[in-house]
Amino acid sequence: MKNKITIALLTLSLSWSCTDLEEQVLDESLTGSGQAEIISGAIAPAYGMLPSTFRHTRYFGLQLIPSDEAILPARGGDQWYDGGMYLDAHSHNMTPSNALVRDSWNYLTRNISRTLTAIEALTPLAETNAEAAAALYEMKALRAYLNMLMLDSWGLVFKKESGAETSEILRGQDAIDYIDSEFLSVVDVINTDRGPGRMTQAAVWGFLAKLHLNAAVYRDPYGTPDFTAEDMSRVITYTDNIINSGGFSLSPEYFDLFNDDNHDNPELIFALDLRGILQNDHSRWAYWSMSGSLFPRPEFPNADGTDGPAITPEFYQTWVDAYGDTDPADADARFYQKNVDVPEALQDLTGFSPQNDQDRYICVAAENFEIDRGIIRGTPWGPRKDSDGNFYRCDGGYRIYAVGERREANMEYYVNHTLDIDFTANNGYASGYRVSKYQFSHTSPDGNNASSVDLVLLRYAEIYLMRAEAKLRLGDNAGALADVNAVRTSRTAREPVPAALNAIDLDIMYRERGFELYWEMARRTDMIRFGHYEDTWTEKTDTDVHHRLFPIPQSAIDGASNTPGYLVQNPGY
Amino acid sequence: MRKQTLFVLAAWLSCAGVTHAGISFDKNNLRVGSVVQQTVRGVVVAADGTPIAGATVRSQATARATTTDERGEFSLQASTGDTLLVSYIGYAEQQIPVTGTNLRITLDDASNALDEIVVVGYGNQRRADVTGSISSVNSEDFNRGIVTNPGQLLQGKVAGLNVSIDSGEPGATQDVIIRGVGSLRSGTTPLYVVDGFALDNTATGVASNPLNFINPNDIEKIDVLKDASAAAIYGARAANGVVVITTKKGRSGITQVNVSGSTSISSLARKMDVFSADEFRSQVAAVGGTLRDGGASTDWQDEFTRNAFSNNINLSVNGGSDRFSYFGSAGVDDQEGILNNSNLRRYSARLNLTQNAWNDRFKVSLNLAGVRTENQRPLITTIVSDMVRSNPTFPAYTDGQPTPVLSGDQFNSLVREQLYSDNANNNRILANFTPSVEIIKGLTYKLNLGVDYSTTDRDVQNLPFAAREDEIGSLNLNYTDNTNTLVENYLTYELNQGNHQATLLAGHTYQETFYKLRTWAYEGFPSNGIEPRYQTEAATRMLTSGTGTEAVKNELQSFFGRINYGYADKYLLTATMRADGSSKFGGNNKYGYFPSVSAGWNIGKEDFMQNSPFDELKIRASWGRTGNQEIPSKITQASYIDSRADDDTYPLHEGVSSLEDYPYGIVYTRLANPDIQWEVSTQTDIGVDFSMFNHRLTGTVDYFSKVSGNVLLEVVPADPIQPTTTYWTNIPGMEIKNQGVEAALEYTSDRSARAFGYNVGGNISFIKNKVVNSPYAVLTTGAAQGAGQTGSTINGYINGSPIGAFYMREFIGIDEAGFSRFRDVNGDGQILDNDRAVVGSALPDVVYAFHLNFFYRNFDLGLNFNGVAGNQIYNHTAMSNFTKGNLAMSFNTTDKAMEYPAEVTNNTNEVSTRYLENGDFLRLNNATLGYNLNPAAIGLAGKVQQIRLGVTGQNLFVVTDYSGFDPELNTGIATGGIQTFGIDYFTYPKVRTFVFSVNVSF
Repeated sequence: MKNKITIALLTLSLSWSCTDLEEQVLDESLTGSGQAEIISGAIAPAYGMLPSTFRHTRYFGLQLIPSDEAILPARGGDQWYDGGMYLDAHSHNMTPSNALVRDSWNYLTRNISRTLTAIEALTPLAETNAEAAAALYEMKALRAYLNMLMLDSWGLVFKKESGAETSEILRGQDAIDYIDSEFLSVVDVINTDRGPGRMTQAAVWGFLAKLHLNAAVYRDPYGTPDFTAEDMSRVITYTDNIINSGGFSLSPEYFDLFNDDNHDNPELIFALDLRGILQNDHSRWAYWSMSGSLFPRPEFPNADGTDGPAITPEFYQTWVDAYGDTDPADADARFYQKNVDVPEALQDLTGFSPQNDQDRYICVAAENFEIDRGIIRGTPWGPRKDSDGNFYRCDGGYRIYAVGERREANMEYYVNHTLDIDFTANNGYASGYRVSKYQFSHTSPDGNNASSVDLVLLRYAEIYLMRAEAKLRLGDNAGALADVNAVRTSRTAREPVPAALNAIDLDIMYRERGFELYWEMARRTDMIRFGHYEDTWTEKTDTDVHHRLFPIPQSAIDGASNTPGYLVQNPGY
Repeated sequence: MRKQTLFVLAAWLSCAGVTHAGISFDKNNLRVGSVVQQTVRGVVVAADGTPIAGATVRSQATARATTTDERGEFSLQASTGDTLLVSYIGYAEQQIPVTGTNLRITLDDASNALDEIVVVGYGNQRRADVTGSISSVNSEDFNRGIVTNPGQLLQGKVAGLNVSIDSGEPGATQDVIIRGVGSLRSGTTPLYVVDGFALDNTATGVASNPLNFINPNDIEKIDVLKDASAAAIYGARAANGVVVITTKKGRSGITQVNVSGSTSISSLARKMDVFSADEFRSQVAAVGGTLRDGGASTDWQDEFTRNAFSNNINLSVNGGSDRFSYFGSAGVDDQEGILNNSNLRRYSARLNLTQNAWNDRFKVSLNLAGVRTENQRPLITTIVSDMVRSNPTFPAYTDGQPTPVLSGDQFNSLVREQLYSDNANNNRILANFTPSVEIIKGLTYKLNLGVDYSTTDRDVQNLPFAAREDEIGSLNLNYTDNTNTLVENYLTYELNQGNHQATLLAGHTYQETFYKLRTWAYEGFPSNGIEPRYQTEAATRMLTSGTGTEAVKNELQSFFGRINYGYADKYLLTATMRADGSSKFGGNNKYGYFPSVSAGWNIGKEDFMQNSPFDELKIRASWGRTGNQEIPSKITQASYIDSRADDDTYPLHEGVSSLEDYPYGIVYTRLANPDIQWEVSTQTDIGVDFSMFNHRLTGTVDYFSKVSGNVLLEVVPADPIQPTTTYWTNIPGMEIKNQGVEAALEYTSDRSARAFGYNVGGNISFIKNKVVNSPYAVLTTGAAQGAGQTGSTINGYINGSPIGAFYMREFIGIDEAGFSRFRDVNGDGQILDNDRAVVGSALPDVVYAFHLNFFYRNFDLGLNFNGVAGNQIYNHTAMSNFTKGNLAMSFNTTDKAMEYPAEVTNNTNEVSTRYLENGDFLRLNNATLGYNLNPAAIGLAGKVQQIRLGVTGQNLFVVTDYSGFDPELNTGIATGGIQTFGIDYFTYPKVRTFVFSVNVSF
């Protein structure tokens, strides 16, 4: 019996034990699960990645921090130090290992790859399928747009038509020509009605205008830009196309452009369509700058700010210089929107602190509460938590108090945003004026995710401003002034409506772009184009023109190190 | 090419199903009948004739036993034909056939190490015949005290083996590094082979050390295969060395029952020197901070730690007839950690059986172990951080309940302790069944069938806390299944002809591992007194981020062979070859080939050495290759998935308002690389083993050089436009070099006729590690944690520097404005991240250990020391907690925060050498005082064989400059899968333990 068993075992074991070692993959389908439909499956990942690409710690921060409109010190000695990436970005001392530059690069390049994957999937279908063709045009436009961002930040683009081949790296005029031809190849056939969440004809026109507005810089990134008449007239052509299409109008309330329901705002041309469904439908542009002691939404006790970047004193000064003795808040509705209606009697906080102001609150229903918007100075107002971490309530709502500092202190004093901010003496939690441009979404339970505020990437006002600048550079000052004033005087929903300007020159053009487009990823490009990137501002004295472009991340250089000459580091790094 | 032919042939032999007909078995394997018992007398003496008192003499047939008296004399009932087993500690056991009634028995010193049997892969060898570098540790030499796993048994016991126990948690994880780190990735773990069964190092779902499932009491010996000659027979998994564990087996003729129990008490070994409440009040004021005075005086380290009591009981029985033997054991180990809610409980049982038949030509053995491990873990990082930083003037409790909120809006972790729990239960069965048959004289066929089944369920939950709106309760459920099955067939042919001695081995092995993980995550639970894990249906939300499935199957098929040849016991040669095929590798490189050769010369046996002081002297040299396949599965294959995850979908239509109506995106998640090859370590070893002065002094010295190439890494592709940021590839030319010298020495005193004896010994290893030909400017890892540390790393590996190097800025003081100053390494006038440099290494240059054992009459005392030198520690705990800014905000610190009077409180706590400390230490790892009670003295003669009482102190002292809890640690967080070393990030503090034990043998 025993030997039979043994022999049986031996035979069995030997027959088990032969294998061809083909790897069995159990927990994923290597060919897709069949749930995706081919056209939507191709384009959804290319669009879907954009909110992550434009995250505050990636492309948004990369454009914001090196400019004079934002500064982010290591607050309180520890917050936001993050390996020095924001300090070095702001002072133009980035190294190739800077994490901000690396993460931005990684997301942008991967996002470009996703457009390529979509293009490869859609191209064979497009000949016979109109829907596939329409999707293909959007993907080509999106790829060209993302490559334009590469050109703007790193001075190069990747031309790649097949996943199997290696990208061709183009710089300068070659890069401009490539992006130009890509946009032009679709601009007449792409949809005109899927905006603002998708690439449309207007978006392509707008980005073509942007390409030619900056072409002089892109052609010679380190020199003095030589703006050609041809480029400028093309800017005018494309912006004219949009304006003449009649499809867009300027929003009477400036801050409506950045609210939950902005998707339907007729000023938006291209924006990332967020519906509060996904984690990465994010509010990060909203919360980054705000005080970590501020709870912006009474419904959501976990939503708060992070004490991220503030504006520099110099950027604030541009408002003061423009409006003289009038406080900018009383001169320009774009500067400030007061939402918390604090009675006169409570406004003076002298002699009070969060320790003795228990009765100095206003009572607001949760859904009616909105923090102030625009550039935030002094002490904001908001809900306050008791020692158990629950909001103080009142009859019918929540008590809204002057916000006490709870991050660096134990509510012994109020948060007070001051003008002064720098990397050392003034690096406190509350230092610096803050930007509350984007709404804390009513659909975001934590202030971070599931926001319904569309992320604005191109809007109608900028079309006017681009046309104005092109006209100005061609010597048509009257035309330029009319376009700039068209924007300034359109914000009529609320006082103070900015007054029309009487005259315009390049300095005013530059300043106006700053007022209209602050914290919308325009400033760095504007500073380079207007020759201000080598200026001096708080914690920034660098004047190396090479720093107009960012370093190529060391990880990418390392990855290409076995292919000498392929990916060459930008000069100056 | 010839090699391949050989292996194809072997494959055919193996796979074609060569069965063995004509095997028959002797059914009559039991002797019956009775024999006449008589009184046998004798004397037990040492080699020089002096009598040995207290030696145990036992009848194999009846298991009756006695001990010798002061004159070495004994008397015992036994019969002619019976065998007496004579043993005494420090001497080799003797088996003496009863040939008369008056016997003289001579015991030899056990230190004759070269006669010891060494377990090599797929066989055993006499130590004298071994040509590779193998260290063996027997159970009597294991570390004592609370020991949960094999690594702890071995710490400090083997030259070239660096066992670093990373924290004070019961059953803590450990780094076991044999001859230096040979890989950049996680996975320095050696291959563990238990009774011929190779374990898989895949996680089992228990967060602490997966090897905790082996009851150390069941281990007879551990052999550590260090060089390539010894390890290459395990091929692709042997690059980190091999640890071969042999469990206890029964012995014919004796029925022995052993009961041992211990109880122990552990406490925090070394507090961190944070300010007391009174010091705190003055120091906060001194730095100009705002003192938040809660009016109390609390030592938070006391509040969060306890005196932990642990109990261990083991029962084992072994015995057998002359053809059958068994060892059975059952054990319960119940360990408390010094943090609350920190426990490890293990229930284990083992049965090892051996049956011989057919005149011993057929043998079958079964090893079966079943273990249940219950592991409860606290929220370690938070608790450890809070026990050193919490404001000491705040009361821990108010009105009998934990004070809910401390100063600075800090949620009291004593409340968190009540809300949080992490319970993992693991059930594991390890079994192998190995029949063997001698087909013709010298030729043995052996089959090894083994299984290792493990299932773990782990529930991590936070109870809802009604007093706070944001504490809504959460639950993570994790179910892990691991299956590891093994089928091995091999043939061994032994040849003994005159002076020629040869052993040939050829075999085939197939191993399949299957890992399955399922997780669910929920949040939002009602406060109804029911734990979240018992009411998942009550959750308000299932979280997509913590819910999912993984299932991975790997196969390994191998062919192996070995030739051992010896001439006249003087000239020895070993050659091995293994071909490993793995499903982890792509079609272009399925198989890897791992050869080795080694030679030994027993000079001591040469005639010209007759008059030398050496009893034995052997020179060994070896060369070989081993592999490393510890890479993720599936990486050779491209994958694209249909996904509705965050970055993969986008609303394409107006009006869509739920995820169900979002499209699935088609997304590439992995790039293909079918060319991936094994990492290969090439090792050369030259060694000397010697024994002198009648075997009293033994030692071994080895020089080795290990070069690991074909380095496998997940790296950035050359063309940045790729669907994934990284892909796996071998890095051409890059190598990791380890070079070292290791030595072990042992001296045993002459114990004959002396009541006092001792032995002393130790080992030391010197290792140099460096990375060469790396195409990467720096491979950073060891992500700094906490606010403001995103993107900061602590370790960084560059050409010419070691793995484990610290790569950071050099702190040179505080400037006039009160901010940190750093050295401008590249001299460009700026302090940027290109001013980081290698500033030290986490891996020691020297690892050493020594032990002192004393015997006096029935007492014995053993002291085990171990230490390291030449390494640094990054004190991340200090960087996070002990800053002037924290003190100013009324968080507690040590006086490290006050080190620079000119420093301002808003100075940034950047990663720099400011927090780098010397990691040298010397520890009295364990000390045991034992007393062997003579059963006769308490009237139990004949009933009880041995009673041993012991007291062990563990971690009695550490000599170190390090300011944290303990210098032995590794709690860094890896980035990009590259391993990190020497970072102290809120490490579970080490304990000091006293263990009281009783061991009784019947």
